[in-house]
Amino acid sequence: MDASTIGMIAFAAVLILLALRVPIAFTLASVATVATFFIFAFRTGTFMPERAIKATTSMVFSNSFDLIHSYDLSMIPLFVALGHIAYRADITTKIYHAAKVWLTKLPGGVAMASVMGCGGFSAITGSSIACASTMGKICTPEMLRMGYDPRLATASVAAGGTLGSLIPPSVLFIIYGIFTETSISALFLAGVLPGLLTLAGFVLVIAVWVWRDPAIAPSTDQRYSASERWRAAWESWPAMLLFILIIGGIYGGIFTATEAAAVCVVSATVIGFVQKKLDWAGLWAAVKETCVQTSAIFLIAASAKIFVAFVALTGVAGTIVGFVSEAQLSLVVLMLCIALIYLLLGMFLDPIGIMVLTLPLMIPLVESYDLNLIWFGVVVIKLLEIGLITPPVGLNVFVIANVVGREAPIDKIFAGITRFLSVDVIVLLLIMSFPAISLLIPMAAR
Amino acid sequence: MLVNLEKILLGLGALAVIALGVLITSNVIARALFASQVPDSVTMVRELMVAAILLPLAAATAARAHVSVAFVSDRFPPRLRSWLIVAGSAIGMLALAPLIYAGGREFLAVVEKGSFFYGDLNLPKWPGRLLFLLGMIATFLRLAELTWRDSRVILAGGVVSDEQHHAADLMVEKDVL
Repeated sequence: MDASTIGMIAFAAVLILLALRVPIAFTLASVATVATFFIFAFRTGTFMPERAIKATTSMVFSNSFDLIHSYDLSMIPLFVALGHIAYRADITTKIYHAAKVWLTKLPGGVAMASVMGCGGFSAITGSSIACASTMGKICTPEMLRMGYDPRLATASVAAGGTLGSLIPPSVLFIIYGIFTETSISALFLAGVLPGLLTLAGFVLVIAVWVWRDPAIAPSTDQRYSASERWRAAWESWPAMLLFILIIGGIYGGIFTATEAAAVCVVSATVIGFVQKKLDWAGLWAAVKETCVQTSAIFLIAASAKIFVAFVALTGVAGTIVGFVSEAQLSLVVLMLCIALIYLLLGMFLDPIGIMVLTLPLMIPLVESYDLNLIWFGVVVIKLLEIGLITPPVGLNVFVIANVVGREAPIDKIFAGITRFLSVDVIVLLLIMSFPAISLLIPMAAR
Repeated sequence: MLVNLEKILLGLGALAVIALGVLITSNVIARALFASQVPDSVTMVRELMVAAILLPLAAATAARAHVSVAFVSDRFPPRLRSWLIVAGSAIGMLALAPLIYAGGREFLAVVEKGSFFYGDLNLPKWPGRLLFLLGMIATFLRLAELTWRDSRVILAGGVVSDEQHHAADLMVEKDVL
């Protein structure tokens, strides 16, 4: 049996096991290990299992251990810890409160504040689902209590939560950086403008929606004095400081993304203790939660690394690149095909799973077209972000549905999501058409 | 006993995360103020990463924090879905077994050779390999326990769920473990 045949069988096995609810990490690692064993065993033409065992286990160990035994990737547990600590220290929610106090007079102001709060939360935590989960518990019930239409109250937070993927620090960017060997700092900087563009688009959607149908967002009698507004703005300084440390530190070349993560974790902890919002028990719980979450992420990444090494052995990626080259697809058609594949996968799979499954095949293809991998990373993350709110498996939508219960069934949330999806598609087309939107800041930072 | 072992490993993992933050920040401060750095900090961070990631893996497995695709199997009857969850744990054991075998071999090799990292402190290589092995073995044991426990529940007529602790919930739940 030749390597490419084993490769094809392995890909089919991965899809079947994933459909049968086997965890992504276990699927990738077990299939890659078994298939690699067969490739080595059949290498000389006859079946020789003894030689294959040593070669396979060495390959499996070195790929997984080297990924975990990494200095640069220590930014993942640190950024995840930052999110948990900042949440417990009440830093992440202050941005929402400040935005709400300033925007509450505007029609749909609380929904706009929710989106901005999500943007601020994302700028610290880097996780879309955590963002939707946390902000959903704070903003959505408040909007429903104020008489907001459930479609607006839920969809604005579900869509706003997706900003966590694009606005740095983003766990998805870090994983993309690992598998494409591109600069994670450059990826972070590349995500800033597309993230802000999306945020502005979401706010615009709410403004137009409320302008056309004022009944969906009743105005509130609550008024804040000028001093209250400025106090609310001032109280959000810790979140601003952390964001400036991350982006300013990386952009200014003061420290690397890994160092930014560590400095921000220590800063958030000190701020939390000084403001008496964080105690030792809270810190310990936050770090334990970090460990559980990070272990699960890394197990997927390590398994994917084993799978990538197996794919390289099969030569399947080269076959696909050759096939596409023969088809002589234009760049536009290629990008549209890639977008379609990611959008389809995004309807059924979670973002990390999609990335680790597709990148081993996509990257050689993209490189054969001589495309910029930083720009391509932003496009991929934007596509994955869209997948978080598209039916039937929009993870953020289900997170919000769990939060609000019967007050907003899934179909109502999806009905509200369509307006935000249209903005997402426009921003995606802009990012694809004008790479400068993504590359401007990383190029300026060089 | 397994729960206590997982709690200890999780606690050690948490200490490793704190140590990561403190060590890297100390390095930044030392560079900025004294134009120097903590000796062998890169090696220490890499070794701490193994502790931070792999020691809590058994606890993550116990919390069923591993991501799976539920879209297709959610349409299956609950008992079939339960058996699929058991199969997932069994396949997890299959995935980890070669890593434990190779990790054990690698650990013995570095101990026999007395391998160390080149640097100011010439730190030994065995601690990282040992932590890798410990984390993998504890996770393997937890998967075996889950396979056994879940099978018994299903055979007794019950159903099992893998949705107790989603990653998103971990963010807001007060005490997961």
